[in-house]
Amino acid sequence: MHDAKDRFSAPAEPSGFAAVPQLWPTNSPPCIQSNRGKMGDCHPATLSLVFAFGGLIWLWLINPTVMAWLNPAGTIPFSLSVPSALVILASAGLLYWILQGRDAANRVPSPQNQQLIEFIAHSADPAFLKNQQGCYLAVNAPFAQLAARPAIDCLNRDDSALFPPEIVDVFLKHDRQVMADDTASYRENTLVIHGAIYSFHTTRWPYRDAGGRSIGVCGIARDITAQKPAENPVPGARADMESRIRERTAALLSINADLERQIAARIQAEVALRDSQERFRQLAEHIREVFWVYGIDEERLLYISPAYEEIWGYPIDGLYERPMAWIEAIHPDDRARVKIAHIDKRSSGHFHEEYRIVRPDGTIRWIWDRGFPVCDEAGHAYRIAGLAEDITRRKLAEDQLRRQQVELTRISRLSLAVELAANLAHQLNQPLAAIVAYTQACLALLRQADTDPRVLTGTLDEIVNQGLRAGEIIRHLRELVQKHPAAQAAFDLNALIRSVARYAQTELNQAGVSLKLALADPLPEALADDIQIQLVLLSLIRNAIESMSEQRDGPHQLTISTSSTDSDGVQVTVRDTGPGFRLEMEEELFRPFFTTKPGGMGLGLSVGRSIVESQGGQLWATLNPDGGACFHFSLPVYPVS
Amino acid sequence: MPDKATVFLIDDDQAVRDAIRLLLETSGFTVQAFASALEFLNSSVVGQPGCLVLDVRMPGLSGLDLQKRLQAQGLRIPIIFITGHGDVPMAIRAMKAGAFDFIEKPFQGQTLLARIEEALAVDGQERCRQAQRTDAAARLALLSPREREVLERVADGQYNKVIASELGISLSTVEIHRKRVMEKLEAESLSDLIRLLTLLQDP
Repeated sequence: MHDAKDRFSAPAEPSGFAAVPQLWPTNSPPCIQSNRGKMGDCHPATLSLVFAFGGLIWLWLINPTVMAWLNPAGTIPFSLSVPSALVILASAGLLYWILQGRDAANRVPSPQNQQLIEFIAHSADPAFLKNQQGCYLAVNAPFAQLAARPAIDCLNRDDSALFPPEIVDVFLKHDRQVMADDTASYRENTLVIHGAIYSFHTTRWPYRDAGGRSIGVCGIARDITAQKPAENPVPGARADMESRIRERTAALLSINADLERQIAARIQAEVALRDSQERFRQLAEHIREVFWVYGIDEERLLYISPAYEEIWGYPIDGLYERPMAWIEAIHPDDRARVKIAHIDKRSSGHFHEEYRIVRPDGTIRWIWDRGFPVCDEAGHAYRIAGLAEDITRRKLAEDQLRRQQVELTRISRLSLAVELAANLAHQLNQPLAAIVAYTQACLALLRQADTDPRVLTGTLDEIVNQGLRAGEIIRHLRELVQKHPAAQAAFDLNALIRSVARYAQTELNQAGVSLKLALADPLPEALADDIQIQLVLLSLIRNAIESMSEQRDGPHQLTISTSSTDSDGVQVTVRDTGPGFRLEMEEELFRPFFTTKPGGMGLGLSVGRSIVESQGGQLWATLNPDGGACFHFSLPVYPVS
Repeated sequence: MPDKATVFLIDDDQAVRDAIRLLLETSGFTVQAFASALEFLNSSVVGQPGCLVLDVRMPGLSGLDLQKRLQAQGLRIPIIFITGHGDVPMAIRAMKAGAFDFIEKPFQGQTLLARIEEALAVDGQERCRQAQRTDAAARLALLSPREREVLERVADGQYNKVIASELGISLSTVEIHRKRVMEKLEAESLSDLIRLLTLLQDP
């Protein structure tokens, strides 16, 4: 800027001016000298006369001499010389006409033009004249300095050849406006030209021919860069400003250096990122799970690994085109649920679904799909990264296991039923045997002639009692095996335990086991299939009895207790004083077909656990500190409405 | 003998025990009832003539366990098992172990009474045989070694002459020994002598 000011503040040298020749008469002002010596710049008439004169001299003086010297014997017939001269003269005429015609458009000699050109030549500000096509016809020295080239090189060129494109636009717009409005226009522009910043006040006006027709644009630009920052120049302000500019420049330079360092670091980081991206790509493309990245802000799938094609059986390209294609492949029964989860994940960032997909070949696969939010530094989740895994095999195995458990439960129920029947037979046979014996005793007595029937009263009372006892047994049994919908319902666990205990009383008595109930009261109602829970409890009681019968000595004490658990459940504990079990066998106990009993099938505990777990509870075993084993099971509590 | 014999009834079910006892007593049997096998074993009646009416399934010592115990003690009292379970394997085990019978509850009173009669009769015969055997053994113990040698040969059917030459004694000495044996064993004929020896050889 400083330099620019210097350049333009100096008086322009008219010698730096240049204009196309036709704008200047032959006796043109001093600036023209620099253009002399070039054929293209000579006046057409001069050129034509020189051509004609030279041609004739050649024809009549030089040519015969040369010919005679080359061929002394030959003569040139005059008849040939005359047409040649005519051809030369015609050529000169033609040349004149061509040259004259070429410059005709620009050649509008008029007194005003003469003054205009001189004004341009002598202006201290950059000034110019250009034709309708935008080519410069005349420029002065300041202009040439602005264009950073000799004035002569600016001629017959347009702005695009002289200035950077963004400036060209500014100039051309101004030109077009002037020509369209056919009047002068003033503009103030700040332009960056060849690295320096200028503010110009530019005036452009139409350049007219003698007839007043607009045939180009004239312009003059005043460099107001120096006045620009402070409209009222104060002495010293400039120096102050210059020092500020220097400071600013220094600051800019240091910022620039910083930027360069940052850019270098950035490039390094990008290389590292590319490396890690490459590693990521390799990982994502080789894992068996489908890895996906969903852009929350973009609301679309950003990436999905090739395993998708393998698992879903659809091409990935289709997925990028139709992002919902993966949902369309989901089994109709699961689709709505997954769709909702998919919508929810945009806000929560989390996604955790298990669903089935239907592949193009109609096969069904189970997918375990879960996504987690990826947050920026501010903690805003902007992406969700997820893994979708094909768990079909595991699912099938689970199904298989479930079927096996159902089968085991069925078998166990069957064996329980057989056992129940045997137990029932035994229990009923006792009172029946008593009734038959009493009755026969009565009959025997009655047959004796001297028997007083009144002595039979006590015996007959006993018979009635035994009949009632048999009825009671059957009633309890009915309670136990009553046909029940195999559905969960609320029930009083304590009442159930009392009922089962009554049922098992005979067995307990026979085994010499005393039963103690320690039931929590009040106890929340449990939620389960009570028939199944009765079976589990009975099976635990029988296990306890059998384990205690293995040892002859010591107390044979069975304690059944209930309690509420912390986690909204109720718990039943069946505690015996038997030999217990070895700690390392704890899990073995619950394996199907594991048994310590010679005649046992080893299904009781394993089925018991399946049943309890299917009801939402747990079944486990512990050892008592003072000997014996404890079997516990928990059940969910019926919600208190 | 039947008058002295007692039916020992062991059943843990009080009603059953009471009813059977009444039935048996009405039918003229002497009955002693026990609530458990141990109660019976610990009583003073073990070894007394009679028969056992025994429930198979009982707390503590089961019916089969008691059967084993008694056999171990050499007591051969007939046992009639009564059971609420139609448990065939258990019945087989009991019968193989020498049970007199295996009756399922509820039972016809007559069936049980008839079997008890038989059992008591068997027990009586057995006890009679046992008494004779004990008696015979006591008498046999009175014989001198020489008399015992002569008895063995007589039982084998050897003639006196052969016995005399084998033992290196005179014929008249053999005859004296033979007469003393007959006297000591209270046998009036050779067939009496043989029967007595057979009784002793039986298990």
